[in-house]
Amino acid sequence: MKKFVSTLLFAVGFSSASMIGLEALGQEQIAGGSAAMAGRGFAGNAKTGDAEGVSVVNPARQAFDTKVMLNLNFLLDVSTADRSNSHYTRSGLSMPSMNLSFPMGDFGTLGVSLWQHYSASIREDIDNEEEMWNAELEYQSSVYELVPTYAIRLPFFRMVSLGASAHFVMGSFNRSLTLGADNSEISKEDAWATIEANVIDRVRGDWKIKNHVAYYTFAAQYRGRMASYFFSFTTPYTLKNELEYNMQFSELDTLEPTRKTREIKVPAMLATGVNYRFNKRHNVMADIAWRAWDRNIDNVAGSWNMSQVTKTQNDFNISIGYQRDGSDIFYESYWDRITYRAGAWYKNWYVEDVSEIGGALGAGFPLGRKGTMLDLSIQGGVRLTDDDHNWSESFIGIRLGLVGVGNWGKTRGQ
Amino acid sequence: MNKKKLILFPLLAFFLSSCLFDTDDDGLSNWLSDQGLPNNYNVQEVTVNDLTPISADAFLDTAPVNAKVIGLLGARSGLSHDVVFDFAIDSALVAKIQNKDSAATFLYLHLLESFYGDKHLPSGYLPIKENLKINASWIISEKMSKNDVENLRDIKDSIWFHELESWTPQNKADTTLSVTIDMVDSVVYGVSVTVLNEPLVTIELPKALVNDILKKPGYRRLQLRLSVPEASNLYRFYGSANEEFQPQFHVVEKGTLNNLTCFAAHSAELISVQEKCSDCVVLYGGDNVYDSLVVEFPSKPIMKALSDFYGDEFPYTVGDSNDVRQAVVMAELTFFRDDSKGESELGLPVMVVASSYVDSVDASVLRGERYKLNRPLINASGHPNMVFHEGDSLSLQVTIGMRNFINKASDGRTFKMAMRLAQSILLPKDSSYRYFVRQDTIYKDQDKKEIKLIKTDTIPVNFPYSDYARYDFTSIRNKPATLKLWLASKRGDKTAPEKLVGKDGNKSESVVIKDNARGGK
Repeated sequence: MKKFVSTLLFAVGFSSASMIGLEALGQEQIAGGSAAMAGRGFAGNAKTGDAEGVSVVNPARQAFDTKVMLNLNFLLDVSTADRSNSHYTRSGLSMPSMNLSFPMGDFGTLGVSLWQHYSASIREDIDNEEEMWNAELEYQSSVYELVPTYAIRLPFFRMVSLGASAHFVMGSFNRSLTLGADNSEISKEDAWATIEANVIDRVRGDWKIKNHVAYYTFAAQYRGRMASYFFSFTTPYTLKNELEYNMQFSELDTLEPTRKTREIKVPAMLATGVNYRFNKRHNVMADIAWRAWDRNIDNVAGSWNMSQVTKTQNDFNISIGYQRDGSDIFYESYWDRITYRAGAWYKNWYVEDVSEIGGALGAGFPLGRKGTMLDLSIQGGVRLTDDDHNWSESFIGIRLGLVGVGNWGKTRGQ
Repeated sequence: MNKKKLILFPLLAFFLSSCLFDTDDDGLSNWLSDQGLPNNYNVQEVTVNDLTPISADAFLDTAPVNAKVIGLLGARSGLSHDVVFDFAIDSALVAKIQNKDSAATFLYLHLLESFYGDKHLPSGYLPIKENLKINASWIISEKMSKNDVENLRDIKDSIWFHELESWTPQNKADTTLSVTIDMVDSVVYGVSVTVLNEPLVTIELPKALVNDILKKPGYRRLQLRLSVPEASNLYRFYGSANEEFQPQFHVVEKGTLNNLTCFAAHSAELISVQEKCSDCVVLYGGDNVYDSLVVEFPSKPIMKALSDFYGDEFPYTVGDSNDVRQAVVMAELTFFRDDSKGESELGLPVMVVASSYVDSVDASVLRGERYKLNRPLINASGHPNMVFHEGDSLSLQVTIGMRNFINKASDGRTFKMAMRLAQSILLPKDSSYRYFVRQDTIYKDQDKKEIKLIKTDTIPVNFPYSDYARYDFTSIRNKPATLKLWLASKRGDKTAPEKLVGKDGNKSESVVIKDNARGGK
């Protein structure tokens, strides 16, 4: 087990398998992309418990936690892009989020999440001497968010909590296309000059928020005996991507890059969800999150025939899920202590004419008696597109979540 | 079922499923095409004919250079090479000389055997026979402490070199020397070798020098300069850092055993120009000869040629004006060449190396150009960047400089490059360049069996010593050069149909255009 985890940690390359939207923002990790959330179809932001942890969509939820929780998530996925009779398969390994929540009793709960909100990461090459193809394409873009959260239950209405989080955005963008020479347009006598003369079309830059230090999410949660609800609002913000364009042969090249800043206006997000608990440990849940994009996204572009913009559409995510909580009594049978999950989602991407349908099965395996857990979910689905630019995709993947739960700061009997 | 199996089963299922996901051979290529990206770049060529320089000026550095390793005395190819030594004189030894009339001073120079004995030295270079008129000039210091004289080497070369730039001798006098350098066959430890007939050159210095030394007792410092401006040859000898064969200065009393021997604490070579043609653009070559010919070309013809080729505006003035629409894969400048006005010492072809001025942080720096080999051309007619070789053109690669120039041409700059005479070439048509050619030989062993042996006796492509050459580049000023560019452009295909068809209703912050090289129109 240790070897497996070590290997996984070593191999994390922060890449994602989808090839859609690379020029815009890339693939979005829904709701923090944790293995537990994925196992129930990304539903369950309204679900409360002793140690549900940070929710980047609903910061109010963690007010009901009683245990400290640390959670690391990994995603390994394989995706095949199709168009007509062409298809291309690639795999990716990423770390969508790390979360820590720290309940402080009547003083509320503090939390922090490091969330890879968007990622556009591929590294592929093509080499065919006969056709004179020689290209290596690499995208490494990650929009990370450091999200401190705070939530507190209301003094007299203890079933209601309020929460807020600030999203500090950071990250980098790198696109490099390395191309070999095609000498078909020049005479044979002149071909010597292009030996070992690969050209790199490179764009790099970083991600920031324009005019603000962060964007914010505000949420309210109601926990009933059987049903729980939440509602959250995330402020709109403008992402600023400062880019340098160059065409070079090596890192020591003499060209001065040309610079451009693109701005992406991300609309406000409204999210709500419900969780219904029955027979003590059984839960059904449904969530919806919605954003109305009213502006297209400027692409990085700048080369050859690349499109200048990515058209956007209203972006929403509808999720339904089921979870049977595992027993926390350590002497019960292991099967009974496992948490079982299932769910499905439909997501309209922010990219026009791209939608995603997915389903997942998941489980949470207790490791030992001290609250350590391994969340595992297996997901699969399709991303459907309507145009030639973005290819439709089929995907499968495994998410792994390492969860540590502790009782720090609590005295016996609390 | 244990926990390990529980984890392994889904993993196994995952990898089995992944086997069902397949890739076409041209899958990525088609995807790249749909993204508007190519599988390679088309190499494009632009030629700029009749490129006349704005200026062509040579800059010879005549600052003293170190003669620790190799010393040089003589005159050749328009340059005179003087040598200066810095000796410490021990007063106690000088005091032993009783008869001042019998006193004399000698300088022993050991000829550089590795040069004169090099078997690749062109035949006909030796023997050298010459009667030299040597001008000796000197400075004898004021009295110094014993400690200062003994620690004369502690003075930094750079400080001494700076003092030498304004050489004002106390006295000077001429002397003569008859030199003969030739090789003879000899047997050393039973092996037949060819060695210098007389490797030691003994120069008897003027009487005035010994008189001055004897007149000034005490610990002193002697700076001695030798000059032979009327010589026809150059004489290479081991420098002062060579423990075995370093130059030696002797004060002797003839007929006695009194012999004061001094070794140089410092030694330097000083170059002076003997050029008679003041209007000529002359470039000098040789070890320790730092001479550059800087040629400056106007921007306009290059910009016009690029503009005509691409149909875009050059120089680029949009945004920050840094042009990255294309990359220069190779740039080659070809000049007219006439070797007849040049002069070389060794008679071998001499390679010309190019460098260009490029931006570095906030400064313009001269950076050496990497020489890329055109092997078919070299194998057929030799390196294109050589002088004293067949042909009438000189082609120099200026890729780094041209790349920088086009990138920043909007600030109105000109294109500047520099050239220097570099190493002598023994094998001008060998494209292995810089590498040694191995010679395979076959010999028969005791059983008459043929065995292939790679001999250690190899043929160097370059002669290890530079040619002290003079090359007249005056023609560069009036004979136009040709610039050939190999280019990679990231401009889009203007005629390609727009693939991105969006729905109405969404406002776009920018216009969709196909020709979208960043910095494009």
